[in-house]
Amino acid sequence: MLFFKWEFLVFMAVVLPGFYALRRTRFWIPWLLAASYIFYARWNPYYLLLVIYSTALDYLLVTLMDHCPRTRGISPPPGLAREARHAEDDLQSKLGLSRNPGEDSQRRLLPYTNEARDSVLNGALLISLGLAATLIGGAAFGPSSLRPTFIVFSVLVLLMALGAWQASRRVWLFISIVNNLTLLLFFKYARFVEQNLNQLFASLHASFRLHDPSSLMPHGFAYLLPVGISFFTFQSMSYTIDFYLAKVARERNILRFATFVCFFPQLMAGPIERARQMLPQFQQAPPFRLQNLTDGASLFLGGLFKKVAIANYLGIYVERVYGTPTNYSAPTLALATVAFAWQIYADFSGYTDMARGLARMMGFHLVINFNHPYLSSGLGEFWTRWHISLSTWFRDYLYIPLGGNRRGTLATYRNLLIVFVVSGIWHGAAWTYVIWGLLHAIGIMLTRELERSQFYRERIPKIAKQIGVFAFVCFAWIFFRASSLSDAGLIIGRIFSSLWTSPQVPALMLAIILAVWLYQWMCESGLRQMLRFGPLRVAIAASMMIYLSLCATGGGAFIYFQF
Amino acid sequence: MSTIAPEIYAAADRNAPAPQEPPFGVNEMRLTGRQWIATIIIFVAFAIIAPRAWNHFEPFHPGRDYRMPYVLSKDYWLFERRLQNISDQRQIPLLGDSVIWGEYVRPEGTLSHFLNEQTNQPDRFLNCGVNGMFPLALEGLVRNYGKSLHDRKIILQYNMLWMTSPRADLSEPKPQSFNHSRLVPQFWPRIPSYDADFSERISATLDHHVQLYAWSLHLQNAYYDQRSMPEWTLKEDESDPPRLPNAWRSPLAPFKDGIPTEPPIDPERGPTSRRHKPWNADGAEPTQFEWVDLDHSLQWQAFQRLVDLLRNRGNDVLVIVGPLNEHMIETTQRPQYEQMRTAIGTWLRAQGVATILPPTLPSPMYADTSHPLTQGYDRLAKDLLAEEAFAQWSR
Repeated sequence: MLFFKWEFLVFMAVVLPGFYALRRTRFWIPWLLAASYIFYARWNPYYLLLVIYSTALDYLLVTLMDHCPRTRGISPPPGLAREARHAEDDLQSKLGLSRNPGEDSQRRLLPYTNEARDSVLNGALLISLGLAATLIGGAAFGPSSLRPTFIVFSVLVLLMALGAWQASRRVWLFISIVNNLTLLLFFKYARFVEQNLNQLFASLHASFRLHDPSSLMPHGFAYLLPVGISFFTFQSMSYTIDFYLAKVARERNILRFATFVCFFPQLMAGPIERARQMLPQFQQAPPFRLQNLTDGASLFLGGLFKKVAIANYLGIYVERVYGTPTNYSAPTLALATVAFAWQIYADFSGYTDMARGLARMMGFHLVINFNHPYLSSGLGEFWTRWHISLSTWFRDYLYIPLGGNRRGTLATYRNLLIVFVVSGIWHGAAWTYVIWGLLHAIGIMLTRELERSQFYRERIPKIAKQIGVFAFVCFAWIFFRASSLSDAGLIIGRIFSSLWTSPQVPALMLAIILAVWLYQWMCESGLRQMLRFGPLRVAIAASMMIYLSLCATGGGAFIYFQF
Repeated sequence: MSTIAPEIYAAADRNAPAPQEPPFGVNEMRLTGRQWIATIIIFVAFAIIAPRAWNHFEPFHPGRDYRMPYVLSKDYWLFERRLQNISDQRQIPLLGDSVIWGEYVRPEGTLSHFLNEQTNQPDRFLNCGVNGMFPLALEGLVRNYGKSLHDRKIILQYNMLWMTSPRADLSEPKPQSFNHSRLVPQFWPRIPSYDADFSERISATLDHHVQLYAWSLHLQNAYYDQRSMPEWTLKEDESDPPRLPNAWRSPLAPFKDGIPTEPPIDPERGPTSRRHKPWNADGAEPTQFEWVDLDHSLQWQAFQRLVDLLRNRGNDVLVIVGPLNEHMIETTQRPQYEQMRTAIGTWLRAQGVATILPPTLPSPMYADTSHPLTQGYDRLAKDLLAEEAFAQWSR
């Protein structure tokens, strides 16, 4: 169910009034959850089980974590523990709660004894052991098609038994992270790993071959990439990590937590929300405000236009040129790359705008995910404007835990390299994404060094920096868009070596790109006031609606659904 | 054991200062309620006025022997205009599929042409056939775009070709793509061969009821090579590597050419075309058909509804059943065919509908299972005019 299809309009025509009608009852959360599950099940009902599983497990793990003392067994690294304590105190004070700090720190530091052992943990231990025995039995004697599933779950349940035995928050956190990453790895990367390893084995003349990951699926289930898996697993994982770090309160209501994990506007492609931003919004139904409706509709219209009028149109051109790059000369390939840069921006930010608009119509606020990234004058700045929710996710849960920029230049660059390569891999299981991430890491390192020089900071005009950043980003997009490394090499080779003949590019495409760039530039300049002129807004909105009615370009799903 | 109670959220609501308004976005496309109302008024006004104004200003003069050009087969908005242009009550539109339209022949080789010629009444019989049509789609076409057909005489053709197999009848459960799919019933009755998704069905329904969409499709069909204007700028030519001839053309340029008309030279149609030859010229043999039972035929049911619809609009309908190429039917199947044909005639006559079951044409006058060649249409016109029922009805 795509936001720009009529089916979705019908869906919203039911969900939105239903939500408003139930707002004053306790059924509004179940209503949102049911809507979100129906929305997801329209893609593949089987994979809804995956969402439910991921949600239920993280809910359970946080519940169990909540029954463990803060200092026990393998204590967290000092930095993290201190950060956790400060964060918890900070959260308490922000929320206006007065607690006795002395008592609290006493409780934190209280040694955990068997006498004080929580009955919930005891229960969890017994159940885990019982379940593990059953699963191991299933693995040994059950149907062969279910054996891999039984084995995986046996390991998981044994880990849970260990967590209950140790009463360790770290073990629960570990299980949550491993579980979410395993889901991601299996559904998104297993085939990539299998193919690469098999190639390696073949080149080493080894007779050993890995089986296709689909052979591990329980019978009857197809091995497909579940839409939005990278988003909902990251969102769910952030909750467990934040709870571990005491940055967020435990959500006791499983329906509310499930709604947070799979809230339909942002379920498929983000923005990746944080529990501390979304869960408080789900505590009480937001009051009805006309402004929420008008703001939401404004956001939705902007997003719809970006997707249907811009991204789909540019996509046809990009698909054609990138599909047969040998047919095209340097200027066409270069312009197709520029077109792709705007296509992916319009596609993804269009989705985000629509998601934010839909949420806003119901009174919920999702974070801003894009902020005119192609106006960045530095690569570091680019990443504070592009896919912001993912960038900040990696910053908070990978870059900072790795040490961030606090351990010297080399360590900082190592951390940047890791983060961007992981970010590349997050986008997809292909070497092209790895190279894309690597390029951005190298680019950021270089620009960081450049920005140290006074000459670069003060003498190079901003527009030149903006063009430079855009050119670099476009260069990196070649790897992102090309279907293989060899194709990317071919395109780059042709851009720099083939003849600069007349480019095959429609004037309308250039006009659209120019208009969008100009609008964004105005938004960031002193001319922004002009755009606030009411009649101009009305004229732009009406023109967009008319253009959509007459000139909409058909197209498929959003690009980021594949991630 | 809990470190932070969930009630803290409620406490926070009570004690914390009013939260800051979260940011709207990064652009200025933020309309207020009043601005939205103004926007919607402008849009609705455009949606109502533009198609009507276009209808008024766009030149469209269907001349003698006019038929909807092949490239405009899906321009239902133009079809509607074509019907609206029929002002003379004496004129009789012929509705039907490509048999009426004339798949293998030039406009001057069609049934309507020969009826006009043989009755010596130019422009009395109008070719309102549409290429690629079939009863399930024709029903939708007439229901949604044929509202101007009321209180007049109409000739309707029923082609039994559409019952020669479950596939042709669209009752086969296997999905298939077919012409004019947006005209068939989208939700009810269910068509097993039609597997469009929900959005496409809603979109098709809206096309029929919102003039703006039908007009938009007219613009695409008539001026932009059956695609949206932006896609038209990306249309490739035949060269290798392909070029984009429209890339720098003004999007307004195609309007100068006007609505496409029948091409003066059509290599696919007319006595000089390579397709214009008897059905068995290449050695084709009679065939066994998987006839669909009348009681279960979706196409026949749609045709029955169509007849009712036209009559409910006060029209005087004459139905021509045929002319199917009986020479192509295996001898053993002929009785079954005759039985079905008779049953169709019986039902129509029972409804008080003038019905003609014309005799089959000589074998060399057919191009395929149902389409006559030029001389076939000539002969068919003669046969029809010789029928007493036709003479009485058309008087």
